[in-house]
This record gives sequence, structure tokens and C-alpha cells, in this order.
Amino acid sequence: MRAEVLKGHLDALLLATLAAGPRHGYAIKEALRVGSDGRFDLPTGTVYPALHRLERAGLIRGTWSTVNGRRRRSYELTPSGRRTLGDERSSWQEFSAAVSALLGGAPWPAAT
Amino acid sequence: MAGGDVSGPQHQPAGRGAVADYLAEVAAELTGTAAARVAITDELRDGLLETLERHLARGRPHPEATAAAIAEFGDPRTVAAAFAPELAAVQARRIALGLMVTGPLVGLTWIAAVAANALPPWRHQLTGPWLALPLVGLALVVAGPALGLTVAATGRLSRRLGRRATFPPTAAAIAALAAVVADLTLLTIITGQALTSPGSSTWAPVLLAVGASLTRVTLAGRAIRRCLATRAALT
Repeated sequence: MRAEVLKGHLDALLLATLAAGPRHGYAIKEALRVGSDGRFDLPTGTVYPALHRLERAGLIRGTWSTVNGRRRRSYELTPSGRRTLGDERSSWQEFSAAVSALLGGAPWPAAT
Repeated sequence: MAGGDVSGPQHQPAGRGAVADYLAEVAAELTGTAAARVAITDELRDGLLETLERHLARGRPHPEATAAAIAEFGDPRTVAAAFAPELAAVQARRIALGLMVTGPLVGLTWIAAVAANALPPWRHQLTGPWLALPLVGLALVVAGPALGLTVAATGRLSRRLGRRATFPPTAAAIAALAAVVADLTLLTIITGQALTSPGSSTWAPVLLAVGASLTRVTLAGRAIRRCLATRAALT
């Protein structure tokens, strides 16, 4: 699936990958890929700028550590990020329920 | 540059060279401060080596695993371009915060200079060269909102404001330009004052204020050039 399809949903998906705990950039990208059965396989390099944007917005917090002799930056949700994720989930459920109702093949109301 | 070093005992020289070359290509395209570029290449290196290790763990030969990892990361120019709005925002925010901190300090040096010499504004008079003083007020009226918007658009409100990537460098450049206008106006006024009323001035605070404004004009001028270059690169 192309990255453009995710436009508008990428922030929520990235926040969702951190709901269970901190992850580094590659682990976040892999969580998106595996969690979507390979459908959301984004170019890894473009996931990092999105994480920086979310960090600047105060939704995630990045911290440096050293792993296998190299610097690693891991991210975790901030309280604001957790609230935003909750809002995004509610909004998506509402939206997807409405779209499913319209595209699900059920008969439409009679035209007036 | 940090982007040239690839650690990890399991990475053979060929793979190390390819990864380092890739990171160097990304680093060459990145804008922003040296510290920001090093942080980005360090983070990318870790991700790239993680990707490489995953391919090696699947039993792929090293050259093939390296090529696959690099392909998975994406074109270096695309990756660097994706960072450009972030780096522009960081740059604009630093400039805006710098102006917000130095503004009151420069202002205080001028108030001290005016007070120490009981210059016309201190006597609630705007005469001679001081007739140009309202231009400083006008510059502050422009700089204030520009600084506020820059900080808002590059911080926690950035998602809600949803401004274009060019907005922060533009707003920061406007604020820096307003600071330059204010400083040049004050420098012109004090020069006029010195020429028309030479003599019994208390020079130390005046020289301090002039030095502060000259420093800020230089730094703000550089900031304007950097912001305009960043803006041009984003369009």
C-alpha cells in the first residue's frame, strides 16, 4: 500500500505503536508493517521525520541510549500524546462506522 | 561527521562502506545546525543497522542484505527532504526564542542610555532625531506577533495550527527584520544625537547600547539570510 494512502492517519498510527511502551524508530516502522500484515510498509527513512514532528508537538518524548555501541533514540507517549491517541481512536471509530454503513452494500434509503 | 562511522562487529567492510555512503548522502542534503544533523544521522544509522541485521538474520548474504536495507530506507534525497520541514521549524524556533530573549536585554541597554543622559524621551519629548523613535515602536508591533506565531507554529500548537512548512522561517525572518529596523533606527537616532548635541554625555551606557544593537543587527541579519535560504529550499 502506498504511503500516500496513510496521509492524515500516519500520526495516529505512529502514536498507536507506542501505546504499549517505548520503541525506537525501526521498531515503530516494523510494528506498523507487522501490525498491518505488511500493508503499511513505509520507507523507513520517512518514518523518522514524522516522529520528530510528533515530538515537537509534545505528543511523544525521545530519549537517547547506547545499544551495541551505537546511539539509539527511543520514543514514548507523553500524557498529551495518550490523550490525542484516545481522541484519534474515537474519531476513527466514528468515521469508519459511517463509511462501513455506506459502503457495506446494505440497501440505501429510498430516494425522495 | 557522525554519519561516516558505522559501528558493530558483525558488519563487514563492504556493508559498512555502503551504509556510511548512504548516511553521508543524506547528511549532505540536510539543512539546519550541525548538532541537529549529527543527531539525525546517528538515529538513521541505528535504524539502518537494525534493518541490515534483520536481513542478515534471515540468512541473506552481506552485500544483498546491505542493498536490501538501504532500499528499504528509501532514496537519500527523499529522506533528507522529509526532514527539511522539521529542521526549518527547529531553526525558526531557535531564532525566535533568541530574539525573544535578547529583545528585552537590548531594550534595557537603550533605556539605561536614555536615562543616564536624560535624553529627550526621558523628558517625554520627541525632538530632533528622536522624532524617528515611533519607528522602533512600529517594529516592535510587527516583531511581537511574528515571534508569537513562530513559537506557536513550531511547538505544541503546531499540529492544531497546521501551517505550511514555509510559515515558520517566513515569520522568523519578519521578526528578525523588524529587530534590524528597530536597531538601525536607534543607531541612527543616537548618531544624530551625538552630532547635534556633542559634549557632556555619559558614554558608557550609550556605548553598551550601541554595541548591543550592532551585535543584534549582525546576528539578525544572518538569521534573515538563513531563514530565506531555508524558505527557498522548501518551495
